[in-house]
Amino acid sequence: MKTMQLFSVFVLAMIFLSCSKDDESNLIAVESETVLNLQAPQTGGQGQPIGGPFTKFDFETGTVTTSDTEWDIAFRGTSIIVNGGASLGTIDEPQRTGDAAAYIADGTMASIEEVNTDLFVQDSENGYAIPSGSGNGWYVYNPAQFLVTPIPGKILVFRTRDGRYAKVEILSYYKDAPENPDVFVDEGRHYTFNYVYQPNANINSF
Amino acid sequence: MSLNKNNLTLYFFLMLLTGPFQLVHAQKDADTLSMQNLGEVLVTATRTKRQLSALPLPAQIITKQQIDNINSIRLSNLLAEQTGLITVPDFGGGEGLQMQGLDAQYSLILIDGVPLVGRSAGTLDLNRISVGNIKQIEVVKGASSSLYGSEAIAGVVNIITETPKQGLNGGLDFRQSSFNTSDLSVNLSHKNKKLALSGFLNRLSSNGYDLNNSSETNTVEPFQNYTLNTKIIYDFTDKTKLNASLRYFTQEQDLVASEELKGESSINEWNTLVKIDHEYNDKWASTMEFYATNYQTEEFLNENNGATFSNAFFNQYMIRPELRSTFKPNDKHTFIGGMGLTHEKLDRTSFNTTPVFNAPYVYVQWDTNLLSKTNLIVGARYDNHNAYASQFSPKAALRYELNEAIALKGSVGYGFKAPDFRQLYFDFSNSTVGYTVLGYNVVGSALTALEEQGQIANILVPASEFNGKLQAERSVNFNLGIDFDPTASLKIKLNLFRNNISNLIDTRVIANRTNGQNVFSYFNVAEVYTQGIEFNTTYKFNNYIKVSGGYQLLFAKDREAEAAFANGEVFARERPTSPAFQLSGNDYFGLFNRSRHMANLKLYYEWPEYKISSNLRIVYRSRYGIADTNGNGYLDNYDAFVEGNAIVNFALNKTLFKKYKVALGIDNLFNFTDAANIPNVPGRIYYVNMNFKL
Repeated sequence: MKTMQLFSVFVLAMIFLSCSKDDESNLIAVESETVLNLQAPQTGGQGQPIGGPFTKFDFETGTVTTSDTEWDIAFRGTSIIVNGGASLGTIDEPQRTGDAAAYIADGTMASIEEVNTDLFVQDSENGYAIPSGSGNGWYVYNPAQFLVTPIPGKILVFRTRDGRYAKVEILSYYKDAPENPDVFVDEGRHYTFNYVYQPNANINSF
Repeated sequence: MSLNKNNLTLYFFLMLLTGPFQLVHAQKDADTLSMQNLGEVLVTATRTKRQLSALPLPAQIITKQQIDNINSIRLSNLLAEQTGLITVPDFGGGEGLQMQGLDAQYSLILIDGVPLVGRSAGTLDLNRISVGNIKQIEVVKGASSSLYGSEAIAGVVNIITETPKQGLNGGLDFRQSSFNTSDLSVNLSHKNKKLALSGFLNRLSSNGYDLNNSSETNTVEPFQNYTLNTKIIYDFTDKTKLNASLRYFTQEQDLVASEELKGESSINEWNTLVKIDHEYNDKWASTMEFYATNYQTEEFLNENNGATFSNAFFNQYMIRPELRSTFKPNDKHTFIGGMGLTHEKLDRTSFNTTPVFNAPYVYVQWDTNLLSKTNLIVGARYDNHNAYASQFSPKAALRYELNEAIALKGSVGYGFKAPDFRQLYFDFSNSTVGYTVLGYNVVGSALTALEEQGQIANILVPASEFNGKLQAERSVNFNLGIDFDPTASLKIKLNLFRNNISNLIDTRVIANRTNGQNVFSYFNVAEVYTQGIEFNTTYKFNNYIKVSGGYQLLFAKDREAEAAFANGEVFARERPTSPAFQLSGNDYFGLFNRSRHMANLKLYYEWPEYKISSNLRIVYRSRYGIADTNGNGYLDNYDAFVEGNAIVNFALNKTLFKKYKVALGIDNLFNFTDAANIPNVPGRIYYVNMNFKL
């Protein structure tokens, strides 16, 4: 555990160091943040139509937003959508106003250093850019314990609404990211994730 | 004299002809010698009577005496104490058998040589089988499809029921144990010169048990069941014999899903076997066999107000006529050949059709002691089938006696398991979660139906992919063993095994539903292997004390998973919420529910002066995983494991006035339980057993 912490610190330090080396003067530093307990409620499910507003997130400010346009990704239950492309047509889905897109890379936060722009897809009538369903996208569902577990090694790479890049590793789907979540105790639909945001336009590395 | 090629051939030909006469005496002596101390005989390995000690295959016999010694009442707890065998709980509540590291669906379970059916989810519940009228249980490990066809990939367990002995015999056995479990058996048989009759009746009832201490549901709900077994043997002449038997099993069990949903489940099963044995002469003999069986289950759940919530049924028939003949030209050779037809029909919930399987088959086997000290068995079987490709399963086994103490054994064989009804015809949608499982043969029609209902978001595998046939799962099995008996009181057996399984059937996602859930179907996907070492030893200190020990080392892995780890495609987290990191090849643990180490140690103490016998048995299995807890799809060293555990059993038996036996015992002495992971271990069981023999 301790080594992991040290390792994370080391990785972060490397990121900052490498950036400060490259950017010389006018580039903004890459942001590496953790979001705790982003709530993503939904209505319906279990055979009923899913609905309820998505919780929108803006990478630039690093906060949840209710803006109709100034958002990059949004969460509802286990679904993650991007502000780009077309609606799947579920109830309460927001209008896409930007050019956001996404793909899922296999690796760790440290190992995904370059964005492969060829892989980006947007939401469409046929499905989200981050596919839904157990094992298809960012999580697996354990039917024995009714547990949603983020798949280790899945890094969500995003293009923001205005063409910048971000990478996200989801860590937990339960409130306060408990060590051993129990669905009968721990409240679900609470995202904890790490992300790295590249605030500079036209730079596709982190 | 020049030994050219022709002369050599002639020489060997003469050897072949005269050889038997020269060697008959030596062979006879060897036989009588070994018969004295190693008289155990089994039929499962070759379908002829063979001495266990002289067999080239890894096999084992559990005798009536062993069953009596440990006061076992069901096949499940009896097999769980044997080396290399583990009983694995099924989600339906049953217990199946893991053998040579292979799942329960890959072992064939026979009663008197004919198969039991009723694997609603692949597992045959061993708790169904009472051991009250069993003569012995024969276990042959390794692929045995060359004689038995489908399902005999890991091996064969053959339950041999008691045959009537001369005169009137009977017995009464009663066992009362914890959880208000009582088991009553009555045996009665009569035999005169020509006719033998026997009847066996067993009743088992229990309050079940609850490991979670939750009020609404129990881990095992209360149940009661009855087993009836009757047999008629009639000797028309000393050459012709008729054998007819009937087994009937019925069980009722409470079914509780929650406080609001309660119901009942029932099982009704019958097996009939009619067999005529005829000896034409000293060399030729035939057996004509007709077997029919039916396994039915029904269950329902009602709501509190009496309204029906769910109903389910399962109704499987199997009919199998078989004719087999043996030809023994002399003491050196035994040929056996057989042909038959398996007809199966299944009607069950979640099937839109009532599928029928017809599978004719033919097999031959040559068992020979061509050279002295060498036994060779070569055989093959051909299975035709109306629903999947036909199978050819050869096998060869060789045993060589190095000297009086050491024998080497080796075998290579093919095994297969036909796709079962469920894998071909299932059409099931989970009503609460919303996923769908489709059998291979119904994907086209069922997917179209779902599409028309607007339930499909997108199709990942087009239905046209399912135009072919689902292939049978196949295996190649290797065994290499050594039997070492350095003294009369010490025996050591060592066996190395390897099973290469291809075409393993697994479920994969074929479409996404609009409710966010998936549609699954069955594919031939995986290639797995299991390999390991099995070691068994017994040592008799003196007439009072005997010790036996067993150990199995096991590696069971998926080749695709091995490659994924080696290529660095698998990631894990140190803690559930810490960042992910890459795993290496060493981090792959293997298949679920496999312990790397299994061991048992059994101490037997006999006190003949007081007619007391006692035993202490310890059964251990090392840690294993039952689920991928960190979400990467594989079992790796960073997943949560079920801790290794040891279960200790103790029994004390006393015989009174020759005809009575009283036994006291404790199974699971240290009250080991693991409610979350091991629902089939109920905790400490005290029991009293009383037995009376007529």
